[in-house]
Amino acid sequence: MPTTVGTEAQNADARGGSATGSVEPVLVAEGLVRSFGSLRAVDGVSLRILPGETFGLLGPNGAGKTTVISMIAGLLQPDEGTVTVAGVPMGRSSVEAKGHIGLVPQDLAIYPELSARDNLQFFGKLQGMHGRPLRDRVAEVLDLVGLGDRAKEQSKKFSGGMKRRLNIGIGLLHQPDLLILDEPTVGVDPQSRNAILESVEALSGEGMAVLYTTHYMEEAERLCDRILILDSGQAQAEGTRDELIELTGDADRVHLSGSGDLAAAEGAVAGIPAVASVHRDPHALDLTVRGAPTAIALIVNAATGAGMKLSNVEIRRPDLESVFLHLTGKALRD
Amino acid sequence: MRSVLAIAEAELRRFLADRSNIFFVFIFPLVLVAVLGASFGGDSASARVAVVGGESALRSAVVTQLERADAEVTITGDDDMRQRVARGGADVGVLVPEEAARAFDAGQGPELEMVTGSQSNAQAAAQVVRTAAAAATLRSGQERALQAAATSAGVDGDIDRALDRAGTSIRPAETQVRDTSGLAQELGGLGQFDLGASSQVLLFTFLTTLSGAAALIQARRDGVVRRVMAGPVTSVQTILGLGLGRLTIALFQGAYIVLASRLLFGVDWGNLPAALGLLLVFGLVAAGVSMVIGVVADNEGLATGLAVGGGLVLAALGGCMMPLEFFPDSLRPVAFLTPHAWGYEGFAEIQRHGGTLLDILPQLGVLAGMAVLWLALGSYLLRRSLARAM
Ligand SMILES: Nc1ncnc2c1ncn2[C@@H]1O[C@H](COP(=O)(O)OP(=O)(O)O)[C@@H](O)[C@H]1O
Ligand SMILES: [Mg+2]
Repeated sequence: MPTTVGTEAQNADARGGSATGSVEPVLVAEGLVRSFGSLRAVDGVSLRILPGETFGLLGPNGAGKTTVISMIAGLLQPDEGTVTVAGVPMGRSSVEAKGHIGLVPQDLAIYPELSARDNLQFFGKLQGMHGRPLRDRVAEVLDLVGLGDRAKEQSKKFSGGMKRRLNIGIGLLHQPDLLILDEPTVGVDPQSRNAILESVEALSGEGMAVLYTTHYMEEAERLCDRILILDSGQAQAEGTRDELIELTGDADRVHLSGSGDLAAAEGAVAGIPAVASVHRDPHALDLTVRGAPTAIALIVNAATGAGMKLSNVEIRRPDLESVFLHLTGKALRD
Repeated sequence: MRSVLAIAEAELRRFLADRSNIFFVFIFPLVLVAVLGASFGGDSASARVAVVGGESALRSAVVTQLERADAEVTITGDDDMRQRVARGGADVGVLVPEEAARAFDAGQGPELEMVTGSQSNAQAAAQVVRTAAAAATLRSGQERALQAAATSAGVDGDIDRALDRAGTSIRPAETQVRDTSGLAQELGGLGQFDLGASSQVLLFTFLTTLSGAAALIQARRDGVVRRVMAGPVTSVQTILGLGLGRLTIALFQGAYIVLASRLLFGVDWGNLPAALGLLLVFGLVAAGVSMVIGVVADNEGLATGLAVGGGLVLAALGGCMMPLEFFPDSLRPVAFLTPHAWGYEGFAEIQRHGGTLLDILPQLGVLAGMAVLWLALGSYLLRRSLARAM
């Protein structure tokens, strides 16, 4: 079962505004399930996003993020569960619900032969825009994604980062109520990556709801108001960053790297009361520890006493990485 | 409707944006029209004419005029003439029957018979014969008129009456050249570039549209089609748009060749609504086949291979490389399995016999049937693949 945390008021809002009656969620997804053959790629995922909120879907490759998004965007029929966008039920042929969404797919989905402007014009027309409002909005988006001066060039001549930015521009052209970004920074140079993150921050500042998937916990921490941690198709936990970190019991992470008898060392440190969990790699032990600064001497003694030769010891304050480790026993970047 | 048009427009833009298309779409077809036109009826070789018929004033008048037109003239017997024409030893055979010779002597319009061969310059040679025959009778008419005028003047000195007679004696002297070979009759109504142009319109409209299948595969692979489907667009609209895109490319290519060949080579396309109607249904067939290839082939290389191979083989089978009339009887039923053969027949009706939309209804009907079949198959496959891709 997913661990749901959050303030009571927020959860009440997310369940349809029964408490205050003021804020309708932009997206309500309930109990989504989807299998491919015998693989249950998504196994009972529910989420709600409020207007202006940036919601993160955090999980390693293969967790089922794209599958969740495809069902939300009406591209994939769920085996079970429902999706409602801006109060409109989503199905494969529900044109109205789709109009409220701007989808930025994980893979570039642009016409390489067409210029940046023509790509935007084309997708704008599909959204029912035309004439002067379309032209003006296209110019605005070109500036927003920093392609104003390259607007007439065939997009196949763009760098990877520029293509990504055009890909995003298409998604937000029609000012959707919900913008879905599927791992928009994968394979992007650091400069473009930062530009992308900044524009997402700017968008949520304008009141657009954003559903952002990533396997980079720093991005989720930086951008997202609330985060759902997904692993093997199942929601592991959901809440704000701080709420999620509380799940670890506010534990610190201790990283011991070295050689020798790691298995014996694992057993020895696990016996220390302050140690909440231990994860063993071939050359390292990852621990979650309550009050690491005081317990560290004990831990080091236990590990070396059991035959581990330490080469490095790190203490880190808890982050989403430790939450993931705590919840799944795995590192996020497996 | 707007989304359908937007999708179709994007497909055409992509097609035009591809630089490698420019040569094959805009230049190559016209080069072929020019080359075929030149071999079909250029003024290159001098005409070789075999003349049959006893010694007569008409025969020598025709021979004189033929030689004046640089033709290579052989006087021979009937059988020999037919053999020469059949084997390519002569381009045209001319029969000067005795009645014609007598009619000529009597100052009436004689009727000659002509047999044309199948060589590429037979048509040009036939034209030389027609002109020569006309010149021969006109010349004798003039002579006779002058003679008549002189006689009248000498006998009773009445100049007015003499001129009147001269006028009447010129008028009826007109030679009829009756073409007795079926093929020549069939192709007779065509200008030099007409046959080449209609064949190339069919060949390239089909080929270019089929090649567009690669762009469809690319759009599916790159996820653009998926993204289109994520917009407020139904799958029916998407399929219509993609199909209309193929059709737009077909019509664009066809209309371009029609227009350019008209302007550059003066090709006579006959009744325009009929020609465009034919092009439209033919384009629909091409669009359907292109959609099918765009789904069945799973990579662009295979699609292009199928498109070029299929486009050329169908064109050859359908009479766009060698005129259908030269096909052996055994090959004809096969030819009419291709849309090209029906298109060829349609254009033949329009260009050679002044056919209108009504006259080509059978061809339009068959092509429309083929279009429905291929478009239905293409839409079905595309719809299935869209559902699977999502
Ligand atoms: N169309 C499909 N057919 C079969 N398996 C699929 C398909 N799409 C995704 N999967 C599988 O479902 C799981 C989740 O995939 P995905 O949603 O793409 O994960 P993520 O986006 O988090 O990396 C993976 O194991 C993937 O291989
Ligand atoms: Mg993914």
